[in-house]
Amino acid sequence: MNITVKSALTGLALAGFAMGAQAADIVVGGKNFTEQQLLSAITQLVLEANGHNVDNRAGMGSAAVRQAMENGQIDVYWEYTGTSLITYNKIEEKLDPEATYERVKELDAEKGIVWLNPSEANNTYALAMRAEDSEETGIATISDLAQAVNDDSDLTLASNAEFYARADGLKPLQETYGFEFGRANIKRMDTGLVYQALKDGQVDVGLVFATDGRIPAFNFTVLADDKGYFPSYALAPVIRHEVLEANPDIGEVLNEVSAKLNDEVMANLNASVDVEKISIENAATQFLEDNGLI
Amino acid sequence: MTQSLGLGRAATLLLVFALGIWVSASGLVDSIVTYWEDIVYLTKQHLVLVASSGVAAILIGVPVGIWLSRPSMEKYAETVMQIFNIGTTIPTLAVVALSMTLLGIGFPPAFFGLFVASLLPIVRNTYAGLLTVPAHLKEAATGMGMTRRQILWRVELPNALYVIFSGIRTALAINVGTTPLAFLIGGGGLGELIFTGIDLMDTGMLLAGAIPTAALAVAVDFLMGQAQLHLIPKGVNPLR
Repeated sequence: MNITVKSALTGLALAGFAMGAQAADIVVGGKNFTEQQLLSAITQLVLEANGHNVDNRAGMGSAAVRQAMENGQIDVYWEYTGTSLITYNKIEEKLDPEATYERVKELDAEKGIVWLNPSEANNTYALAMRAEDSEETGIATISDLAQAVNDDSDLTLASNAEFYARADGLKPLQETYGFEFGRANIKRMDTGLVYQALKDGQVDVGLVFATDGRIPAFNFTVLADDKGYFPSYALAPVIRHEVLEANPDIGEVLNEVSAKLNDEVMANLNASVDVEKISIENAATQFLEDNGLI
Repeated sequence: MTQSLGLGRAATLLLVFALGIWVSASGLVDSIVTYWEDIVYLTKQHLVLVASSGVAAILIGVPVGIWLSRPSMEKYAETVMQIFNIGTTIPTLAVVALSMTLLGIGFPPAFFGLFVASLLPIVRNTYAGLLTVPAHLKEAATGMGMTRRQILWRVELPNALYVIFSGIRTALAINVGTTPLAFLIGGGGLGELIFTGIDLMDTGMLLAGAIPTAALAVAVDFLMGQAQLHLIPKGVNPLR
């Protein structure tokens, strides 16, 4: 009997200890590419500097991270306005950047998700080619590309898994511009490998993110989206309403971070990791120190 | 014994039946069927990867296993096998990633990574199978005046065949299950559906990749089992 009580108490104590160890009050999420890993790390460091206990869960697909937030498993992460508008809220009308932000703010509020201040960084999807190829073939816009594909030039495209199947992804893009890459001409791979594949000449066109530092570093030309297919993908911190209520300071801190971000800052941060091979954590720390945030 | 087997089988069938009802009720079947074109296209890629890397691993693995089992290699064989054993503990994902750094993106690194992952069980079983051939058989063959080569082909290999086949069977099962990782380095295959399904939280898409992968693994294992049963001569086949 005595032993039973003792072991029960020990068990309780251990359980309590485990709970204590896990008692991170804020869970930071993130998607599965460099920029998002940087933002998760920045968020973690800045919140820890402000006395929060943080758990970092970067590395999910868009839909997964969104679902996790709706389920309350993730408290805060960085999202792009266009992704929420088209992929999560299925809105098909074309909106300008401000209207996009206002609309998703309104729609996501119903789900208990708060959009904090948007940054000036617009990380739109884009199609890119090697600069010399673009000059040689005269392909400078996606319309030119559509023309070339329709004229039977055997161009290949590298895409990541998500873009291939998203509502704001490849298939509707091809419908808008009236062309179609053959199934065998689309090579799908991990997001980060697309740049290497394009650089090494394994494909002719690559799906890139506009704020990726490898675009200038590898001398790529981004094809102009002349029909305005892509929405605005302004980058902003999103947070669960309850969490913000309980910790209003987090909103203030993240708005400060958001105000420091624009396309150039983001591209440089991404390049420092992808091109100069600085670790995510060091790059994030450097950014926060340079901006006096920690 | 037979009765308990029958019960187990009935329970399994019931379970599969219930699962089928649940899947069709949840509308997953429809969403899986929408990816039919993708499934067919990617299954072909998947099979090409499995077949090419599997055949290459057999063609290289069996001779290497034989070579290691020869008396002249006796001193080094254990060391080499230990190195191979350590090699087996490297996660396949890491093998695939490393081969990418060597061979770039697409089919070649995927082929190479899968080849390496399948090689180890084949070499190990070939080596072990040949070592466990009873010494008295080899002595009898020597006594009958057979040359070394004749002993290898007529005595050792037939007696080791069952173990060698088991190694190939294991290797191919690992191979089919690992091939989805080829997607990550642009090698195609059913991994495209699985990983896209994970990214988009689209269960239908995920299953459209996962179910054919599992079915392929089962089919390959079944075919190898049949081959093991029918191709290995009666006298040295524990199954017959």
